[in-house]
Order: sequence, then structure tokens, then C-alpha cells
Amino acid sequence: MACKPPSTWTQYRTLLAKDLKAEFRTKDMIVSMGIYAFLVIVVFGVALSFARPGAEFLEASGGLLWALVVFTSLLGLNRSFSHETENGCLEGLLLAPLDRGVIFLSKATSNLIFLALVEVIAVPLYWVFFSSFAAPAETGWLLVVPLLLGSIGIAGIGTLLSTMTASTRGKDVMLALLFVPIIFPLLYACVSATTCALVGGEVFAEGFFTALALGAGYDVIMILASWVLYDFVVN
Amino acid sequence: MADKKKLKLPEVGQWPDKLMAPALIAGAVLTTLGFLMAFFIVPPVGGAAVDGVELIGDSMVSQKMLLSQKIFYFHMPVAITSFLGMAFGCYYAVRFLMTKNQRFDTCSRICLEISLLFIIMTMITGEMWTRFEWGVWWSWEPRLTTYLILMLIVIAYFVLRSSVDEPERRATFAAVIAIIATVDVPICFMITRLIPSSIHPVVLREGGMSPEMGMCVGLCALGMLLVGFALYRARFNQVRLTQRVEALKESLED
Amino acid sequence: MNPILADIYSTILPSAPYLIAAYALLWVALLVYVLIIFRGTKKAEAQLMLLEEAVADQQIKTQ
Repeated sequence: MACKPPSTWTQYRTLLAKDLKAEFRTKDMIVSMGIYAFLVIVVFGVALSFARPGAEFLEASGGLLWALVVFTSLLGLNRSFSHETENGCLEGLLLAPLDRGVIFLSKATSNLIFLALVEVIAVPLYWVFFSSFAAPAETGWLLVVPLLLGSIGIAGIGTLLSTMTASTRGKDVMLALLFVPIIFPLLYACVSATTCALVGGEVFAEGFFTALALGAGYDVIMILASWVLYDFVVN
Repeated sequence: MADKKKLKLPEVGQWPDKLMAPALIAGAVLTTLGFLMAFFIVPPVGGAAVDGVELIGDSMVSQKMLLSQKIFYFHMPVAITSFLGMAFGCYYAVRFLMTKNQRFDTCSRICLEISLLFIIMTMITGEMWTRFEWGVWWSWEPRLTTYLILMLIVIAYFVLRSSVDEPERRATFAAVIAIIATVDVPICFMITRLIPSSIHPVVLREGGMSPEMGMCVGLCALGMLLVGFALYRARFNQVRLTQRVEALKESLED
Repeated sequence: MNPILADIYSTILPSAPYLIAAYALLWVALLVYVLIIFRGTKKAEAQLMLLEEAVADQQIKTQ
């Protein structure tokens, strides 16, 4: 009987399921990311303890929220690939006749899912702790859109970079060193969009969609580039 | 391997080496000419208006003369050279990924070294101008920000190189970062320009260049490009010499 | 000097140190890179000498 190779979609689903299963069995990464996010919020609380509450706070809070996301995602990305290298899992994966692009996509998706899960906990927490400073405008809930856009970009380029840095000396620092400048344009666009959403009114109409469009452009270009280059990095 | 089409590798003694000495001399002459022209021929650019008009030489002047603007005549050529270095670094990185030949990795690395050198020179001249004109050492202005990011990525590139031991893997990772950086920087430039930050408005004076200014910048740019090329070639020769000595040493030790 | 002329020239002297520093540092940076190249060449040549000596020694031994 001829054995049909599984379709790309099946491969993708299997790999993704593997990552999710491994994670939900131990809940290692999500718990540590969640606690880390909470600690960053506490640090922000201390840093802002002498700031005066007021509408001006809204202009800074979008940026702070993104600082939280960047630090938390750095932690997550660092750990996401160490599982693979620790137990020689990566060699096994590479022995299988898989397209490397599929490995990239599944890894990026699992990173995105973990990041999104942590954000679902961290963003409301952030709101709880800092809404006493200034109430966001009615359009505030729209920050979900830049958050999603930013997370997609972070997961995409972050997967490529964390795969690379997983096999270097001093990998934690190395990842941060590469990740922060490369993600900078996206971060800038997302902070701008988030601030627009939080401040609302005229500012919202002016800048929100431009920033989103630019962020989306970055996502598309960078994910395509990472997807193509992933082939070389893994081999 | 034998049936593989013969790959032409950059090597010491090929035609670019013949151009090295003339390029260096021409570069030195052109930049010197540009320097002299900037200070003695191109009239100083006017800044803020003063209340009154005064006859200087044979023209009426009603603005403050800006000496600080003279920095621009070298600032922009140096910046152009750094971008070009980056572009060539990316080109060689692509060649490396296609052929997996270490020689292209060497070329790519040296291109980025040159690029880093010129980025640092751009930062220095830019900083001096910023400090005098705006009175601050740093401002989050689109061009400055883009350059900072560019510099950080190139520095990260070299740190990454030093933290991987295996040559093949080091070269691959470096090539990937070189390509990502070349893609990232234009996006960064665009995004920081199209989304003006509200706190620090764009302060740059926009305005055309007079033909004289344009010529001066062109002269300096050509000179700087030639200097950059000569430096690249000199460094390439030196690195190749070192590599060949290393290879010889290894084969003797056996 | 009349006040208008003084005003026209007012930024020239204060900006001179920055201008000079910019140009000087520019060339210093170039020079440093050239020195790096020179040092690399020197090192490689010294190693080459050592290798030549080693080869000569080996030849004497084998004879």
C-alpha cells in the first residue's frame, strides 16, 4: 500500500499541537511570563509613584504598556527555543522530511499564542493598576488591534532571532541585543497607534490608521523575510 | 564538486586592487578640494533673520551666517557611504547564502565594518551639529533615531559574530542579520518620518541646495566613496593575508 | 563693529569648537581604522616569519 505523505497543513497542525501540548503539560513558560509581567507592572507602579495623575498620563501609558509587552515577550522567546535544543528535539524535527517554512510557521504561531495568552492576563491587570491615573477615551478598547499586530510581528521576527541565538554563547543578552533594534519600527508604530486609541478624539482620527497600516506593512515584510531566511538558520 | 560551475571568488590581486591606490589618492584629493570649497567658495548659509541689512563683500545680508552648517558638507557624504557599505554587505550576504563560500562571508563582514566606521563618523558629525544648533546632545528626531537603530543593529551583528564559534554557522547567522538589517533600516526611516511624534516635532529646516552647495556635497561624496572603497580593499587584503597565514599554520601543524 | 554686523556674525565663533571637533573626530575615526589595518598586517607578517623559520628548521632536520 502506498503511503501518502501528510499534507503541509497536517504537518503544521501536528507541530503546533506538539508545542501547545508540551507547554500546557508543564505551564512553565506561561506562568513565568505571567509572573514576570506582573512584576514589571509593580516596577512601573514604583516608578510612577511620584507622578501626578492626569490626562497627560495617557500619552505615556501606551508606551509603558508596550515596554511591558516587549520585556515579557523577550522572556518568552528566550525560553521557547531552549526546549528544542535541550533534548535534541530539533535534530529529530530536521530529520523528518519537513519543509523548514512549516517549522517556522508553527513555531511562530505557538509563540504568538503564548504571547496573546499572557497579554490577555497582563493588559487587564495593567488597566486595573493604572486606570486611577487617567481614564482612557472611549476608543481605548481599540488598543487590541495594535496589540495583535505587534504580537504577530514580535512572534514572527522573534522566532527567527530566538532560533539563531539559542545556539550562541550568552544567548539571553544576544537575543535582546538583536531583537530590540530590529523590532524598533514596529514598536514605534504600535506605541503610536496605542496612544492614539487611548487619548481618543482628534488624535485618534489623525494617527491611528496610518500607524496601523505602517505596522502591518512591517509585519508583512519582516515575516516574509524571516520565513525565507529560516531555511538557512535551521540547517 | 568538480562538475560545479567555477565560481569566481573575490581574491587579492584582482582588478579592484589595481584601482586601490588611485582611488585612495583621488579620494584624498577630492575630499580636500571639497573641504576647501566648503569653507572658501560656497557662501555661508543664512539662519535666523536679523533686524537690518548690511553689505558684506558685494551682497546684501540680512540673516545670521551659519558656520555650523559647514558640517553638512561632510556629514551627508559620510552617511551615503555608510548606506552603500550596508548595501554591499547585504549583497555579499545573499551571495554567501547562495554559495556557502566563506569568502563571501569575509567580504560581507568587511563591508559592514566599513559601514560601521562611516556610521560612527556620521553620528559624530551629526551630534556636533545637533549639540550646537539645538543645544542638546540627543533628540528623538527621525533621522537621528534611524541612525541610532542602524548603529545598534550593526554593533549587534559584530557581537553575534563573536559569540558563535563554528565558522559555517557564524557566517550563516551573520548573513541573515545583515539582510534583515538592510530590510529593517528603510522601514525604520519611513515609519519614524510618517508618524511624527507629538512631543518632539520635526525641527529640520527643509530647503533646496544651491548649485554650488550641491557641487560641494557631490565632490565630498565622490571623495568619501573612493576613500571607503580603498579602505575596503586594504582591509580585504589584510584579512586575506591573515587567513592565508592561519591556513598555512594549520597545514604545517599536521 | 556695528551691531547688525555683530548680529550677523554672532553664531560663528560659538559654533567653531563644534565644527572643528566634528572635522577632527571624523579624521581620527578614519585614522583609527587605518591603524587597525596596519596592525593586522604587521601581526600577519610576524606570523609568516615564524612559519618560515619553522619550515627552515624542519628542512634541516629532515636532511
